[in-house]
Amino acid sequence: MTTVAERQAAPSLSTWERVRGWVTNPWGRPRFLVLVTWGYMIWAIVPVLIAIQFSFNASRSRTTWAGFSTRWYWGDPVDSVWNDPGLRHSLEQSLKLAGADVLIATPIGVLLALGLARWRGRGSRPANFLMLFPLVTPEIVMGVSLLLVFSHVFTFVHTGTLAQILGHVTFSISYVVVIVRGRLFSIGRQYEEAAADLGASPTSALTRVLLPLLAPAIVASAAIVFAISIDDFVISQWLSSGEDTDTVPIQIYSATRGAPLPSTNAIATIMLLVTFVSILLAFLVWRVFTRGERRAAQSTAESMGAFTV
Amino acid sequence: MYRRWLWPGFALPGTLWLILLFLVPFYAVLAVAFGTVDPILQQPVPIWNPLEWNVGWMTETLSRFAPGGTFYGVAIRTIVYVVVSLALCLLIGYPVAYYISRHAGRTKNVLLILLILPFWISYLMRMLAWVNLLAPDGYVNRFLTFTHLLGEPRDWLGGAPSTVILALVYGYIPYLILPLYAALDRIDRSHLEAARDLGASPLRAFLHVTLPLSKAGILGGAVLITLPMFGDYYTPNLVSGAPATSMIGNQIDLYFHGGPQPTIGAAITVLLAAFLTVLMAYYMWTIHRATHEVRDV
Amino acid sequence: MARGEIQLLDLTKVFEDVTAVDHVDIDIPAGEFFSLLGPSGCGKTTTLRMVAGFEQPTSGRILLDGADVAYTPPHKRNVNTVFQNYALFPHLNVFDNVAFGLRRAKRPKDEVRERVGRALELVQLTGLEKRKSAQLSGGQQQRVALARALVLNPAVLLLDEPLGALDAKLRKELQLELKALQQEVGITFVYVTHDQEEALTMSDRIAVMANGQVEQIGTPKDVYEESATVFVADFLGVSNLMDGEVTGRDGTALRVRVGEVELRAERGEVATTGPAKVVIRPERIELEAYGENGAANRLPGMVERVVYVGAAQQLVIRLATGEQLQALVQNDGAPLEWEQGTPVRVHLPPSALRVLELRQALADTTADEG
Repeated sequence: MTTVAERQAAPSLSTWERVRGWVTNPWGRPRFLVLVTWGYMIWAIVPVLIAIQFSFNASRSRTTWAGFSTRWYWGDPVDSVWNDPGLRHSLEQSLKLAGADVLIATPIGVLLALGLARWRGRGSRPANFLMLFPLVTPEIVMGVSLLLVFSHVFTFVHTGTLAQILGHVTFSISYVVVIVRGRLFSIGRQYEEAAADLGASPTSALTRVLLPLLAPAIVASAAIVFAISIDDFVISQWLSSGEDTDTVPIQIYSATRGAPLPSTNAIATIMLLVTFVSILLAFLVWRVFTRGERRAAQSTAESMGAFTV
Repeated sequence: MYRRWLWPGFALPGTLWLILLFLVPFYAVLAVAFGTVDPILQQPVPIWNPLEWNVGWMTETLSRFAPGGTFYGVAIRTIVYVVVSLALCLLIGYPVAYYISRHAGRTKNVLLILLILPFWISYLMRMLAWVNLLAPDGYVNRFLTFTHLLGEPRDWLGGAPSTVILALVYGYIPYLILPLYAALDRIDRSHLEAARDLGASPLRAFLHVTLPLSKAGILGGAVLITLPMFGDYYTPNLVSGAPATSMIGNQIDLYFHGGPQPTIGAAITVLLAAFLTVLMAYYMWTIHRATHEVRDV
Repeated sequence: MARGEIQLLDLTKVFEDVTAVDHVDIDIPAGEFFSLLGPSGCGKTTTLRMVAGFEQPTSGRILLDGADVAYTPPHKRNVNTVFQNYALFPHLNVFDNVAFGLRRAKRPKDEVRERVGRALELVQLTGLEKRKSAQLSGGQQQRVALARALVLNPAVLLLDEPLGALDAKLRKELQLELKALQQEVGITFVYVTHDQEEALTMSDRIAVMANGQVEQIGTPKDVYEESATVFVADFLGVSNLMDGEVTGRDGTALRVRVGEVELRAERGEVATTGPAKVVIRPERIELEAYGENGAANRLPGMVERVVYVGAAQQLVIRLATGEQLQALVQNDGAPLEWEQGTPVRVHLPPSALRVLELRQALADTTADEG
């Protein structure tokens, strides 16, 4: 025979216990953590939003709002990003460096990723170690070393755009390798083996099977290289030959230390936009390319039932 | 299936590039640090043969790091700033990472996007944002005087260590939270459930299960931000005008761009790199030991 | 038209310090459904991969219709594989997957369309050409993998545990379908599996492997009823392995002492007298009412446990010698005469009793794998 437990009266809680209960909330999400997390998010994002807001300020102040205006972007005949030669040139320089970086670092990095992932020989371990080093090296150490190597060893390279490009590529390669290698591991050898099994030559297997499957990672790494290059400050500054080869981060740096105008906010906002767009594009390309693979989890379950027809 | 030389061949261009533009430059720093200075041109003369290295400049630089020397204060200050910033980053970052990985539920995706956002915002823009806010007539001063927490506007940007530390924390904390989140996310929920099932209160389950299991993540994130932080020079320059808050990176910057002694700058760089290598080695040894401990159990 | 006869001659593969395949000799005539059966790590998959061309043998030869292909790259062999996880190209739809090999061979468009259509018909997947593999069920993916391999008219089809990822019911259906398909197409199938029931169901002949070596090759009946070694006996079904001592001959049969009792065994062969293993299948054990040992080949025992498995009942019987036997009694509707805890007399018919050499048993194999 089954019996029903007797109901007991609920105990009454003191005020302190009630408050502590609300904050710690043992059965749900601890509210203290919620507060800290959302507090952090606000603290992390809001200052930047304010900076963006002030890029549209009608007056020269970065601290007192005087109304909405686009003068710092293109309106002001002297100080807007469009009209200030220094600012505009730095924008071009940043885009130039980033573009060159992507075009050089991505192919080198993809090849290096393939090589390191598949190479079984004795050199692969040190090569792998070498590839990881730039990721943990502080930028100032890299800046110093590159400056010195161009002053004393590869003296045919003077400070300036070429040196900056070489420096950017050097720290970008490792990012490409890490991203592409991750994708490579999840792909595995099976598709190339299947291709060879079906009669594809090794070249064919690489170009018709591996490369298309690797494409999303390649595009993603290109976008990341672009974003990193655009935002780079230390290497660009150390290898710059003067105002002529200054990039946007260098401009922002000098302006912030000196006399920043809302045009500084404006060019920073433009950079932000460029970075976001490139990341968004890469993300969308990744989604499109891997669309075929993602339905796996749902579809198998659904059509299993229909299959027995 | 493939030719044996194919994969090493693929790896060749990248490896060659990194040797020429990463390893060789490192060696150039050593050659300059252990080199001499041309007395007439006041230019550094690198010495390439290790057997002929001149330790004069290096010993001179080392002596300046000793207590009483010109670099002693900067070095101590740098270590203090980094340690304090790291502690604050962990204090703020751990709860955030913990919440997102364990409790976020429906808001998890939104929070992850917000977490990743700062990565795509230029470091300089984030510092610029604070420079604007901390200006004498900026929002921070206005808010503090308005709420009477402060009598009159304070000069935040004139050389205050607290501002530099705040900036360092603000700048580097995203690089700590993300790996920490990844490590916490990987912890199997069933471990915690088992602990609760066996009678542990939420606090004890955290202290005895979650915290130890997240040690690797904490260590990894800490390494990820302290290494670059030790070389930071732009943050103090941006949020503080004064040499009283300069870090070791500023010294290197000075010797290369300010004065006539790149050799000393190179020597400091070598010492900094050596110091960071020791830290890195300690980190790897700890990880190595941790994974072996697990296996013995 | 290629015939599809395979010969593996002294095939060996050594990986660093592990010998995965150890001097294997196998002959597979054209058109046979041949299985490589064994536990994980026994070398069956490595052997298959060598036949496919993904691994190069350390020594030995692989003859395909008389020609040694051991060092021919995989894309030049007239052999196709169905992979364990199907390896359907995610970026191509069903049609393009199946057409892949034909296009690499530069076949004209009409021919490609026609052959792909016929291949899909063969595996009953007509109409799904435009789907991507992620939109297919496991069973459908497996069929696409089959079609993709068969469309090229290979002399031999290699299958690496293709049904492993499917649930039990689907697996049984596809086992029968694959067997029917093989008989319809008529080419040689080399099938790798660790599931002995699957191998017994589908194969014309089976090679049972352990530790990189072939323990026995034979028809399903051969390997089950006439197991050549202790490993084979133990791997296929329940073996009821007992320790015994061969004391001599009795005509064509052997006399074996198990515990206190001397038994007559008509199956099996050993070189000399001495310690040996005795094997009998559960369905061949006859149970009789307990009484004094009068007739030959009878042992006293106690029923330890009765397990109901639907079509039959498994009785776990503890012998006086300490050994445990499992007997199988078909459910014919009549109530079982023996309950848990009752004594019983176990009759081991000489015609079902098999004596085997005392060699490395299954337990030692698993210890080596570490």
